[in-house]
Parts: sequence; C-alpha cells; structure tokens
Amino acid sequence: MKLSISYWRLKDRYYRLVGVRCEECKNEFFPPVYVCRRCGSRSLTDKEMPKTGKILTYTELKETLAGFEDQEPMLLGIIQLDNGVRILGQIVDTAAENLSIGDRVKAVFRKIQEHGSSGQIFYGYKFVRT
Amino acid sequence: MSRVYVASVGYTTVGDHWNKSILDLAIEAGFQALTGAPKVKPEQLVVGNMFSGLSSRQEHLGALVVNGLGLTGLPGFKVEAACASGGMASLAVFNMLKAGQIDSALVVGVEKMRDLDPGEVSQALCAAESAEYTQFFGASFVSLNAMLARLYMYEFDVSRDDLSAFPVLAHRNAVNATHAQFRKEVSYEDVARSMVISDPLRLLDCAPVGDGAAALLLVSEDLAGQVKGPLVEMAAAESATNRFSLYERDDMLDFAATRLAAHKALKSAGLSINDVDYLEVHDAFSVVASLSVEALGLSKKGQGARDAREGKYARENGLATNCFGGLKGRGHPVGATGVYQLAETYLQLAHKAGPNQVDDASVGLAQNVGGVDTTAVVHVLRRS
Repeated sequence: MKLSISYWRLKDRYYRLVGVRCEECKNEFFPPVYVCRRCGSRSLTDKEMPKTGKILTYTELKETLAGFEDQEPMLLGIIQLDNGVRILGQIVDTAAENLSIGDRVKAVFRKIQEHGSSGQIFYGYKFVRT
Repeated sequence: MSRVYVASVGYTTVGDHWNKSILDLAIEAGFQALTGAPKVKPEQLVVGNMFSGLSSRQEHLGALVVNGLGLTGLPGFKVEAACASGGMASLAVFNMLKAGQIDSALVVGVEKMRDLDPGEVSQALCAAESAEYTQFFGASFVSLNAMLARLYMYEFDVSRDDLSAFPVLAHRNAVNATHAQFRKEVSYEDVARSMVISDPLRLLDCAPVGDGAAALLLVSEDLAGQVKGPLVEMAAAESATNRFSLYERDDMLDFAATRLAAHKALKSAGLSINDVDYLEVHDAFSVVASLSVEALGLSKKGQGARDAREGKYARENGLATNCFGGLKGRGHPVGATGVYQLAETYLQLAHKAGPNQVDDASVGLAQNVGGVDTTAVVHVLRRS
C-alpha cells in the first residue's frame, strides 16, 4: 500500500483537524463520518475541530509498531476536544509520570512517521500539555 | 428450521510450530474433526483466518484447505472479522445449516503468527483498527487496550491485583489442558512484576502470540444419527458490532457489541444468562475479560475484575470459565481462537474435558471478539 497517497488525501484532516459537522443537528465528528451519529442525517460538511481539550485516558507504549521504533516509549492518549469530540493521538514533550487523566492539552503540528533518511516524512497532529 | 449439532472437533497444540505451515496446521485440525465422525461427509468448508496474506503471503484459503483435505470440488471460502474470524466462520456455517441449504460442514480456524517478527505481529493485529486514524499515529492494538485498562481502573477504583484475577485464573486452568500454550500457573505477584508492555498492561495481562488451528464438524438434525457419543447442539450463533474505534464511543467501558450479540443469542436459544453453566470469554487482555463478563450481564458494571478475584468465575464453586486456559493460557492464534472456544465448550458439554471437566455442564456460552469489542460473536451450545 502506498501510504503517501492516503496521506495526501487526508492532509487537511491530519494538518488542521478537519472533521465534519452535521447540517441538521450541528453535532461535530472527527474522524469524519458518513452518517450523523446523533440524528442520522447524511448532510455533513467539513469543519475544523477546536485544538484544545483534556486527556480521558493515556498509556506509555513500550513496544511500538514497525516503523515507530525511534519513538519508543510512545505516549498515547484519547483526548476529548472542547466540542466533545474524542480523538486519539500521541502526547509529546513530557514524560508519563507527569500525566494525569483530566490534564488540559492542545494540538500541535509534528512529524508522525519518517520512512528512512531519504524517504517521505509524514506530518500531523500530536498533543502537548498546556 | 433444522437444529445444528457438533459432530466432532479437532485442534492442534497452540505455540511455536516452526516446522508447520498454515496449511499443515489447518489440515491437522481438519483431519481430526473428520476422523471423529467418519460417516459425515462435509458439503461446505469455511475457514476463519485474520491475516494469512501478511503472515504467509497466502490468501484463497478456502480452496487451498479443501484441496489439502483431499476434498477437491467442495465449496470453500474464508471469513475474516479480525480476532473474531473463527467465531464468525462458525456463525456463517450455522446459518447455512439452519437455512437447510446444507446438512454438514467443516469449520477450520487457523492462524500462523510466529513466522512474523514481533513488530510485524503488532502491525498485523492493528490492521483490525483504523488505518487512517489509529495505525497512522503509531497506536498498536495493545496500546488501545491499555488506555481502556487505565480508564477502567480509574473509573471503578480497580486495583492491580483485581485486574490480575483473570490471567491468574486462566493460567491455573491451562495447567491441565494438553493443547495449551502455557501450562503453568502464575501468581498475582508474577503478573504485577511482569514486564510493562503498555502501561498499565503488563506482559501477563496480554494473550501470547502463537500458531494454531481448530476445527468443528457441524451437522443438521438429519445427520445427527451419524454422531457418536453425546449430542451437543449449537443452539444459537449471533453477532453484533460497536462503533468502529474505541475513541468514537460515548461510553468506552460498555462492550455494546458483546452485550447485543449475547442478548440475541440467548433470546434465540430461549435461555437466560443464568442458565449458562460453562463460559468461554475472550480474555485477549485482562481488562477485556472483565468488561466482557460485565457486558454479558454476569457482573455489575465495574465489578468484573473484583468478582473474578473473589472466585465468581473459578472452576471450583464458580461459573466455570475458560477451563482450558482461555486466550491467555491456551493461547490466541487469532483467527483460530473462536473455533478453539467452541471446540472446548463442546468438550465440556460432551463431558470429554478430562481433568478440567466441570460437573454437569449443560449450557455453554462462548464470546469471541474482534478489535476492542468492535465485532462480537456469541454462540450458545447445549447438551441434548
């Protein structure tokens, strides 16, 4: 699979947290959905998500997926953004012992994956404590 | 509609089968099941498997296994539903038998995991999760379950030792199971001191990686007379789904797919959860076992782990659960797991379970999960 193609398709999602908003009931979703989870409408349009939220749960992963070895140990969290949307992402610029459930975080633009010294670099959102 | 019966079962040991291919394993289990009921000629093969394309560069398992069994001509196909592939393969056959389309079929669940490096196994397992919003960011399957475990411990004040109860139970039961991957007891201290994989989950919270295959020969009531020994009916097989990713759910600690599938299966069998006297739960991770018994309605919300610690799911004086070690002790060759659970439930209900036989087991429920409760398959088996 060519990751570069799906990455290109998704760059607005990864760079600016563009999800969707339901035209009927105004609820927002990220990742985007095809059918509104609240009212069942299929009228959904792109909408940028708020960049701040709080940690609902987190982990320090010691054995990463292939290709992420240089990021071990990796902090991951499920973040509830200020519009109520929940999103998964890495938590960076801190250590596990500093984290607590409920901590405030904000989204930042960072390198996600790098495919070798001459390969493509993939960017996207990560979270830092505020 | 026809009733469905288990005519016989087969399974390999679970573990490192360096000298056996994915096909070798499937054939070994398949032959055992066919030999157990020699008069039954299957009319259909369904293979449960998750990632043969990644592990063995082999797809098209239906025709491959049919030919390996020497049954060229027989229709065969593969069913994939992540770690619930085995249960879903059985469900597919159950529905064909119920519909009266066929009278006999062989289900084979198989997975070859040890040919992959550990990083590749993590990647293959994580293919069950969103490629775009989970895998892309480096979150492995274990890390999702670890976040679930942290939330569970936080919300319900669950301790490290509470969480360890299911792994301890599984390993105790695996000691007498000749096909189990780890036939050794572990203590609460062992679990608490084992290596951290993804905090708070430790090595002994997680099911191991291993190769294995299991098989079921299923027949309609027209062929039930061909079955030797006690008749075990597959009374119901149902499935349900949850929101795809854990983080998309309003209540991450509600295993809604398991809850829905179990409700449908018990209703279809005309039984309640209180009638169940043998249980197979999908203990891929300690926290998953705990949330599963809660979703099944056996433990109150937040009490699954504590109930296990207090002996509620013990072989002795409890609701006998995972008596061959479950995913944790027997092992978890992912696409085969659901079929192992059913083979083991059959052994209990047919009173062929050996040292870990549960007295008077008559109704068994097996819960098989793909993803973090994203897909659940629940079977109810009943001794006739």
